[in-house]
Amino acid sequence: MRRPAARGWESAIAIGSPLLLLAAWEAASAVGLLRAQFFPRPTTIARHFGELLADGSLPRHAGTTLVRLAWAFLLAAVPGVAVGLAMGISRRVRDGLDPLFAVIYPIPSVLFLPLLSFVLKPADAALAVTGAITSFFLIAYTTMTGVQQIDRTVLEAATHFGARRGRLFIKVLLPGTLPFIFTGLRLGLGLALIVVIAVEMVSAQHGLGALLWLSWGLLKVEDMYAALAAIALLGGPLLWALALVRARLLPWLPDVADA
Amino acid sequence: MTLAVPFALLAAWELASWLGVLSPRYFPPPTVIAATLAQLLVEGALLSEALITLTRLAAAFVLAAAPAVALGLAMGLWRPVRGVVEPYIVMLYPLPKIALLPLLLILMGVGEKAFVVTGAITAFFQIVISTVGGVQSIDPRLIEVGRNYGAGGTALFRKIILPAALPAIFTGLRLGLGLALITVVAVEFVTAKNGLGHLVFRSWQMLLTPQMFAAFVLIGLIGLALTRGLRALQRRALAWKPEVGWL
Repeated sequence: MRRPAARGWESAIAIGSPLLLLAAWEAASAVGLLRAQFFPRPTTIARHFGELLADGSLPRHAGTTLVRLAWAFLLAAVPGVAVGLAMGISRRVRDGLDPLFAVIYPIPSVLFLPLLSFVLKPADAALAVTGAITSFFLIAYTTMTGVQQIDRTVLEAATHFGARRGRLFIKVLLPGTLPFIFTGLRLGLGLALIVVIAVEMVSAQHGLGALLWLSWGLLKVEDMYAALAAIALLGGPLLWALALVRARLLPWLPDVADA
Repeated sequence: MTLAVPFALLAAWELASWLGVLSPRYFPPPTVIAATLAQLLVEGALLSEALITLTRLAAAFVLAAAPAVALGLAMGLWRPVRGVVEPYIVMLYPLPKIALLPLLLILMGVGEKAFVVTGAITAFFQIVISTVGGVQSIDPRLIEVGRNYGAGGTALFRKIILPAALPAIFTGLRLGLGLALITVVAVEFVTAKNGLGHLVFRSWQMLLTPQMFAAFVLIGLIGLALTRGLRALQRRALAWKPEVGWL
């Protein structure tokens, strides 16, 4: 059991050291050690962030990104879990799909954008689906692993007590797989965010990634930092929301990951 | 590994492309793509781009690996280190590292350094996290036994902690390499003037679709070779723990 005093120190450092860095940055920019035109003071950035928030442009860009992310995540999660379950349950399905997946999975997601832009006419659709691809494989594979790691004895016991396919699925398979499904969803959400931002940088006019890239191109650094901060602030709450859902559905399992 | 499904899909694609069901301009038949791939490889242009990408990848990985493992071990072994570093990792982990690219471009100018560092940062985070996890999940009984037999700091580390954490470290290195490849290719796609990722982008813009797909396929093959190769290596090198997972 850690002594409360020691824990207090840890929290102090956890909060204090980033603050210290920010303070150092502020000072360095103010005296000109850091070129203010490339590294504006954090207070300036914060103020600009507030301005962009107030005039609606940042919320608009953030909204665009979030909508794309939501679509990407849904397109990855629903089929991903379904296919993953199928692959876990049926050896035939797994043997059939595995070679296909193994070849497509290592390909960096952004490269699918050209292909998808040929097939999907609305540009937004292509962006969202690109975000979904690698996430889909990740979620499918994690789910499949979840099914495979279910203790055979548990399945046997349930069958002995008369559980048929349907009940076996709902009462045994699903709860046993759920922790893995959630791990997959968490990783998939993070990955989808990365890809959505990346494709926005490549070829969008709206959205946080687009804002980030376009403002860099015009050397409007304050906009760039604001976009970066917005992107950074996006990831945390999303993962936290997912963790909340997980805690609700899987109260018997402590949260596995710290990161 | 039955290749029935991929073959069937390729055959369907081939047919659809020749029949015009799939526009051959946007989706050239796989045979044409294969021919283009072979031709470009022989001509050497594709190989030189691949070499550029692989060099960046190697540089990114080498840059990230040793410091990341060192930091991960330090964080796993000493609570104060973890206390100081962990907040940054937790804060920065959800951030898409590619979003740091513009910032790095400002810091280092548009050029190799920024590309390599972006890849390195992505790999760095993965390796650190895996290493810390590896150290923290060591069975405490192993350490107890070691101490009981008189193992002190360095001996404990060399004989017990390091080998016990090695599978996780290796997995972290493997994942880090894969992520570094993805990041380097993505960076090339977004902003570089050469490399396989840029080749895909350029071919896309000029609608040279056979070339685009050829580069695409090459990247996929490289990624596949790296991941499968490293998994086999891990199984061989860490033969006492052959379960390496599907990633």
